[in-house]
Amino acid sequence: MFIDAMGLILADHTRANLGDLEEPRSLAAVPFAGRYRIIDFTLSSLVNSGVKNVGVVANHKYRSLMDHLGTGAYWDLDRMQQGLSILPPFLISHHQDEQEGDLVGLYDFVRDATQNYVVICESNQVMNIDFGPYVQAAKASGAKMTILYNQDGNKSGQPYFLLGLDEDNYVNDLFLSPRELPTTNTALGIMILERDFLIQHLELEVARGRNKLSVENLLRLYEEEQIFALEYSGMILRINSLATYFQASQRFLEMDIFDLFFNQEDRPIYTKVKNEAPAMYLTGNKVVNSLLSDGCSVAGEVKDSIIFRGVQVGRHAVLDNCIIGQDCVISEGAELSYVILDKDTVIRPGVKLVGQPDYPVVIGKGVIV
Amino acid sequence: MAKQEVVAMILAGGQGSRLGILTQYVAKPAVPFGSRYRIIDFPLSNCTNSGIEAVGVLTQYQPLELNQYMGNGHSWDLDRNTGGLAILPPFQRSGRSDWYKGTANAIYQNIYYIDRYNPKYVLILSGDHIYKMNYGKMLSFHVEKEADCTIAVIEVPWEEASRFGIMNTDEDARITEFVEKPPEPKSRLASMGIYIFNWPVLKEKLIADEQNPDSDNDFGKNIIPAMLAEEQKLYAYTFADYWRDVGTIFSLWDANMDLIRDPQEIDLSDDRWRIYGRTPVQPSHYISTSGEVVNSVITDGCKIYGRLENSVLAASCYVGEGAVVKDSVLMPGAVVEAGAYVEKAIIGLHGVVGRGAEMRPATDFGSQEYVNKLCSEGISVLQSNTELKAGAKVGGNSMLVSDANVQEALVIAHQPGTLLY
Repeated sequence: MFIDAMGLILADHTRANLGDLEEPRSLAAVPFAGRYRIIDFTLSSLVNSGVKNVGVVANHKYRSLMDHLGTGAYWDLDRMQQGLSILPPFLISHHQDEQEGDLVGLYDFVRDATQNYVVICESNQVMNIDFGPYVQAAKASGAKMTILYNQDGNKSGQPYFLLGLDEDNYVNDLFLSPRELPTTNTALGIMILERDFLIQHLELEVARGRNKLSVENLLRLYEEEQIFALEYSGMILRINSLATYFQASQRFLEMDIFDLFFNQEDRPIYTKVKNEAPAMYLTGNKVVNSLLSDGCSVAGEVKDSIIFRGVQVGRHAVLDNCIIGQDCVISEGAELSYVILDKDTVIRPGVKLVGQPDYPVVIGKGVIV
Repeated sequence: MAKQEVVAMILAGGQGSRLGILTQYVAKPAVPFGSRYRIIDFPLSNCTNSGIEAVGVLTQYQPLELNQYMGNGHSWDLDRNTGGLAILPPFQRSGRSDWYKGTANAIYQNIYYIDRYNPKYVLILSGDHIYKMNYGKMLSFHVEKEADCTIAVIEVPWEEASRFGIMNTDEDARITEFVEKPPEPKSRLASMGIYIFNWPVLKEKLIADEQNPDSDNDFGKNIIPAMLAEEQKLYAYTFADYWRDVGTIFSLWDANMDLIRDPQEIDLSDDRWRIYGRTPVQPSHYISTSGEVVNSVITDGCKIYGRLENSVLAASCYVGEGAVVKDSVLMPGAVVEAGAYVEKAIIGLHGVVGRGAEMRPATDFGSQEYVNKLCSEGISVLQSNTELKAGAKVGGNSMLVSDANVQEALVIAHQPGTLLY
């Protein structure tokens, strides 16, 4: 499993908005599927594809992301050579005007790498991909830039880029969330670039005083530089809003979808190890069609829900279609339906909260209700 | 090499023969326990949590799984630049080479390892007990008493005292006598097999003991009695918390059941004293619409379609629709297929109970061909990487093991499953 590519994960996304879940952290660090953060899927995909040099570009609120990633040991990226690098903004004190820093740090990182290709992944998607064949195909095409896409189409006004493609599958048009669909070719936040091209591009961007690398900005170069498009037909879940976050999470309760992510031999999804005790099911619990994690203790009812690590569900509490973040406490007799709780939230006894499938109630981190 | 005040030595080389097929291919310390753990996690985590940073693990019997599990000690924070985890198997030397002949001999053969840290104290532990203990407190006691050796003891019920090595002490906790399995015990302070020695004293004793051709080279049988005979200062440190020996099929099963009966006793969710271990890379566990879980302990990667009652499940277990698992312990990767019934059983790693197969504790139920004297109280064991054939019916106290020589055997061998961490 040798792959001539390095990885770049862009931890923020300007067009995604996860409201309260994103408020204290980068999009990449948003908790997902019971015991993961969104970045775990991207990072594990890269590592399982053989990528050993990964940069995580973080611009905002990246403390929890850094805490999660640590040295990269959980992904086997704690290496003497290369491994995991977190690339925060390159702030210089006499550079007050450019609050977001510039691309110099990223430029240095990419320039010093040794691989010939760069896999760039944004963080508004959840995947378990073997990048190997795509890097091969990108290489074979000879294009300096390659974008992955699928046929999702533009659903419910989500900010997706649709790609016009010529007969050789090169991008010849670009649409952001058009009202009528000229095509169903929908860009994913995954690009494969020749590293030399990226170095050149970053050099110019630094000179122009720009400070952001994004798939969107790269796609907008389609008139100057050929962008080859590769169709991806596997499972990928897009997360751009609280509604899509909720829907994507609920799909993990379908075991065939669950297995596409988690039962891929040689492609496990890694995450930070917590050493919680195993989950305890106490008298009076009634749990159906739900995912639960280590450290939980459950005495109430849980239905169609996803429960993160270390959650306590009290007696006679009822959770229906909920996503309950790490270390939350659901007190006795509380009833929650279509609710997303961020971590460390406490629901007091008897509290009732009801959301709607398209509009779940979201409670921010550490709130007591 | 930098000095360490204390070096811990964990005796992990024993076979644990009373666990039968559970230790056929793995050393006892590597046997899974309590859903998420292996037995060795307890002494290793206790060391880390007690601030001990140099830990030698003495291995001999079936060390492969144990070695691979421990790796460089990373999971217990023992991958240190200074100190850290060292796996110490017996080794060849110029001249004479030996297996570890006894507990004391194992330490004797590693004098060089300990000497390099130039420690004041050596902590001797065994790798087969379930407990949370702050060795730092025991060391303070040892220092305070100006002892040569301190032995951790636990009060056992009087009626069981004659099964243990018993310490008789004076009012200052100084040990006056040590009796192995006394028929008429004078005290109920049983040795836990945890010793702190002043290293220079122990080193001298080990060298002397090695000269004695009649010695069993054992701490309990030789070193401790010799020190008592010389009136050295031996003290008993009483430990009053949860402690279980899991050396038999019944005690292993029973200690697992403690997690359900009284989870507060060992309290695995104590943030200040975490038990660390190699974690399986598995997603959250799933309880389906047909699943039902009563008073049970579950961990990552499990999928439950049937009914669980009073059971402890390790990582990646599967219980099929209509299956019942009651009062049982499932080790990593165990599978109970649809319609099967499992009661009072320990299912080994990647063990499979076929469709509709039944394991019941009654001794007059089904086949009694596999009844084994190591099993008691109706508890049966299914060997790792084997399958109890679909529809097979087996009664209690059975040790289900595949045997190619048996015609129409109920148990068939599988290829070893993948590592689940």
